[in-house]
Amino acid sequence: MKIDHALESKLKEIKTFEVPVQLTVLSLMLVIIGFAMAWFGMMQNPTRGWGNILICNYYFLSLMIGAAFFAAIQNISQSGWSAMFKRIPEALTGPLPVIALFIMAMIAFGTHSLYHWSHEVIVRQDQLLQHKAPYLNFTFYIIRATIFLVSWIILTTLLRRLSLKEDSQGGMVSFIKSEFYSKVLIFVLALTFSLATFDWIMSIDAHWFSTIFAVKNFVSAFYHASAAIILLVVLLYKRGHLPILKDSHLHDFSRYLFILSMIWGYMWFSQYFLMWFSNIPEETVYYSLRLGREWKTLFLLDLGVNWLFPFLFLLSNKIAKNINALMFTSSILLVGFWLDIYLQVMPGLTGVNAIGAVELGTFIGFYGLFIWLVAKTLGRANIIPKKHPYLMESALHESH
Amino acid sequence: MLKTVESTNLVGTYVSEELLMSAIKIIKEKNIKIKNIFTPYPIPEVFHQLELSTRFPYLATLFGFSGMVITFAFLYWTSVIDFPIRVGGKPPLSLSFIVIMFVMTINAGIILSVISFFLRQNLFPGKPPIFGHVGNTDDKYSIVIEIKPDSTEKELSELKLLLTDSGAKYLNEKKNIESI
Repeated sequence: MKIDHALESKLKEIKTFEVPVQLTVLSLMLVIIGFAMAWFGMMQNPTRGWGNILICNYYFLSLMIGAAFFAAIQNISQSGWSAMFKRIPEALTGPLPVIALFIMAMIAFGTHSLYHWSHEVIVRQDQLLQHKAPYLNFTFYIIRATIFLVSWIILTTLLRRLSLKEDSQGGMVSFIKSEFYSKVLIFVLALTFSLATFDWIMSIDAHWFSTIFAVKNFVSAFYHASAAIILLVVLLYKRGHLPILKDSHLHDFSRYLFILSMIWGYMWFSQYFLMWFSNIPEETVYYSLRLGREWKTLFLLDLGVNWLFPFLFLLSNKIAKNINALMFTSSILLVGFWLDIYLQVMPGLTGVNAIGAVELGTFIGFYGLFIWLVAKTLGRANIIPKKHPYLMESALHESH
Repeated sequence: MLKTVESTNLVGTYVSEELLMSAIKIIKEKNIKIKNIFTPYPIPEVFHQLELSTRFPYLATLFGFSGMVITFAFLYWTSVIDFPIRVGGKPPLSLSFIVIMFVMTINAGIILSVISFFLRQNLFPGKPPIFGHVGNTDDKYSIVIEIKPDSTEKELSELKLLLTDSGAKYLNEKKNIESI
């Protein structure tokens, strides 16, 4: 590859990201509002309060897991185009320890409000729950959650360290090592994240089961994490931190969204269609509740926002390369993700469709904390991995 | 469609992709129209340089969409209007249409696109192959420029000089090469 000196000097000039004061103030305000609202919700109705904590925990956990997966497949495929965006998925995984604390707190204090299998009285009267008791019991549940969170934190921190080491030392050692640990991460995620979705989301409806549930949620995490990565890239570009971003990169990003929208729609439909077709009461109860009068609009809106809109909108080549259109689609998708999780949690938990101050407040509280932690992690390293072996290839990337 | 347009063409053949790309730029600077380019493999950069545009994606979308609609109409006629049977308590107009419609969207989109591509390129079984140089299927890259019937000997030699200067290894004249 030819060495472009103009480009090299441009790469050297890129400034590091510093957390703006406004962002800190905004985050603090959001966290305070969120804390107040979550507290209010908890006092008013503990089930609803903990349900919202679960939604937000799972929402941001999914974004982080999806971002880690995104970074891992870039490492494994040794892809050149994405080399200069390496820091962004890494920054998104930054808040993982904090969210892990929240999840452990939720497990310690909220399990009784969230999962009816955790009440011994109910289990004693319920044959199905007794049958599932060897897996769904409180002790094993805590052990599993600890293993999941610790393994994720260890692997993401390891990959982040290798990446930072590469920045200071250069050479190929870290590059090869990160490829290996990315493979480990994918194997670990495939098992742990599937079980985590079973534990935290599917066991709300403890009588119900779906074998495609984990795949659907994993795709969902990957899909919406890609949207979050794109949003972050676009925002950094608009603030002047990524001057070498080109149409070709945007096109590749929108391809990610486009194919993942199709896979998401495919998984959504597979789960729904197989249950509708076989028509076993055990399974259909999940959907008959969601197709009832109370949830139907949101249920269909979920499909429209997360599949139909991105699919039709990103079909056109010109729109796919438009930076504002991509930003718009990603923002819509991040809202749609919340809706998707809300529809998986709330109907089985409270059974009441109420999107109000508690839902909004808890979410913006988590959101404020999340963006501050992400910004903090972004500020700790160069935005561009200066000694990445594929950096020049990424800067010269042309897609057709 | 099957009529060939009579023409005489000058073919310059290059040995590497880099030479081809620089030659295209040189020829474009002289405002000489490039009639066709033959390469062993598709080079997207060539499309950008020649400013070629295609309406194929729109056509493919249209094919896919019409495949979906026609399949729906067919399924609706067979299982709702003409021969409604209840299977497993499912209504005649049911979700199971979607699977078939999904498959037929892809099927119609792909097959009709391939057919229309062949029609557009005048490709049919038994057609003699068209190329600028025998090496085009191997490792040679060719640029085709049409020689106008009224062009003088001087213009022709200038054109030949331009091609050799831009790095062409072989020069030959060929008849009846179609335009892109």
